[in-house]
Amino acid sequence: MVREALLKVLEARPDEPVAFLAGYFEKLVLSSPEAGDGGGDHHGQHQQRLVRALWYVHLAHHSHRTAFNNNISMAYECLSAGGRRKKPGVNGKIYSELLKRICRDGEVPEEIISPLLRKITCRDHEAVPFDIFRYGVLTCFVLLEFLAKADTLYDVLDDSSGVADKRVCLAVLGTLEEALQASNFSVPVRYLEVGSKLGPDCLALAMDRALVDRKVSASMNRGEFLRRATALFITKVKPVD
Amino acid sequence: MGTMGHEPVPCTIKSAVTLQVGDVRRELGRPGVVVIDVAFPQPIDLQEMVFKNYYAAFLTMRVQRRRSLNRGTEGPLQWVTCLQDYCLMPNPHTEDCSQDYVCLSRDQMFCDVDHVATMRLILRQPSPVWFNFSIEELRFYAQGQKIPQKGFPSWLSHPSPQEQPANLHEELPNPDKVSSEVQKMWVLTEMLQASQTAARIGRFDVDGCYDINLLSYT
Repeated sequence: MVREALLKVLEARPDEPVAFLAGYFEKLVLSSPEAGDGGGDHHGQHQQRLVRALWYVHLAHHSHRTAFNNNISMAYECLSAGGRRKKPGVNGKIYSELLKRICRDGEVPEEIISPLLRKITCRDHEAVPFDIFRYGVLTCFVLLEFLAKADTLYDVLDDSSGVADKRVCLAVLGTLEEALQASNFSVPVRYLEVGSKLGPDCLALAMDRALVDRKVSASMNRGEFLRRATALFITKVKPVD
Repeated sequence: MGTMGHEPVPCTIKSAVTLQVGDVRRELGRPGVVVIDVAFPQPIDLQEMVFKNYYAAFLTMRVQRRRSLNRGTEGPLQWVTCLQDYCLMPNPHTEDCSQDYVCLSRDQMFCDVDHVATMRLILRQPSPVWFNFSIEELRFYAQGQKIPQKGFPSWLSHPSPQEQPANLHEELPNPDKVSSEVQKMWVLTEMLQASQTAARIGRFDVDGCYDINLLSYT
């Protein structure tokens, strides 16, 4: 048990290893089967498994790819264990619930979550293969980070005045959209192209062009900016089929 | 390679014939020579050929071409050797260059390779170490077929930093910061696209409806 805990520390490399370990053991005690007093009924067990799976997927950041993958497979096992049958697998219902919980925990606004979830969740009765499970969870986490970046971007764009100019916002998002659109070059060339498109010079030009008539114009609030930015992201998410 | 971006010439590559003394099944010796014939439906002016070596050590190339006579009339077909024991593997017993991609252009040939109708590639491998040998992914490119290089994409030749417009608006957000955030957002999206899976649930329905042909009575 201690070895496993240390392994998790090494994998996740938290900033505060002691606090991480404390949290780890606390969670381990709280979510162990014996501890679940009120968890005798089916619903309680279900919730407990969900909480445990959530905890697993949060252990490591998704950029630590190996650790993250390990944790996801732990979560997958945890969700598929239990139940009456021997190998029930993960069904669409609990998978969708997990994804929703991840997004809600990240305080993603509802109107941003729902188009994403529509793409990556499965129907309640469907068996979810591990690859799809992994992709779904990863997508949620990447979206959370994407949102955080978009939020910071808005802070830059509004110049600490609280509201950003709509034209500038649209210009920046338009440039990003252009860069995301698959050009017909192979990978290294495309990266160069995007690097040039998203460089400070090009962006400055785009923003400058947007502001060409120096009139005061409508502003775009943070919510709308985030919604438009995530829409770009979500179009690139591969839907489950 | 200069061959990117245009189409190889259509041709018929016949299967390789191994030359061996005695019965192939009974003799223990390995064949040392492989012959591959290539036929072109239309005679071509060969510019270059590209292939992937597979343990062949030397290449001899003979072409059957039609010599045009002085007054523009076509002469008889004749065979000429345009490459003799071209070294593909510096040391036939070792792996070096054994699976390299090779590009031979017309400058490397002994003679003109115009109006080529048929080609015979003779591969030799003196070393008995290799069980068999050949060349793969054989492609021919004709002369004059090269598409001129298109101009540089605009993003490659976009204004360099010193040409940066100086008259930017005062109230413009800091482009460096904007750029850094936007690039991070792009990376995240790109990373997600790179980790897509091929796995599928295997749904048969399209927008909630089933194709009637998929239903069966069993």
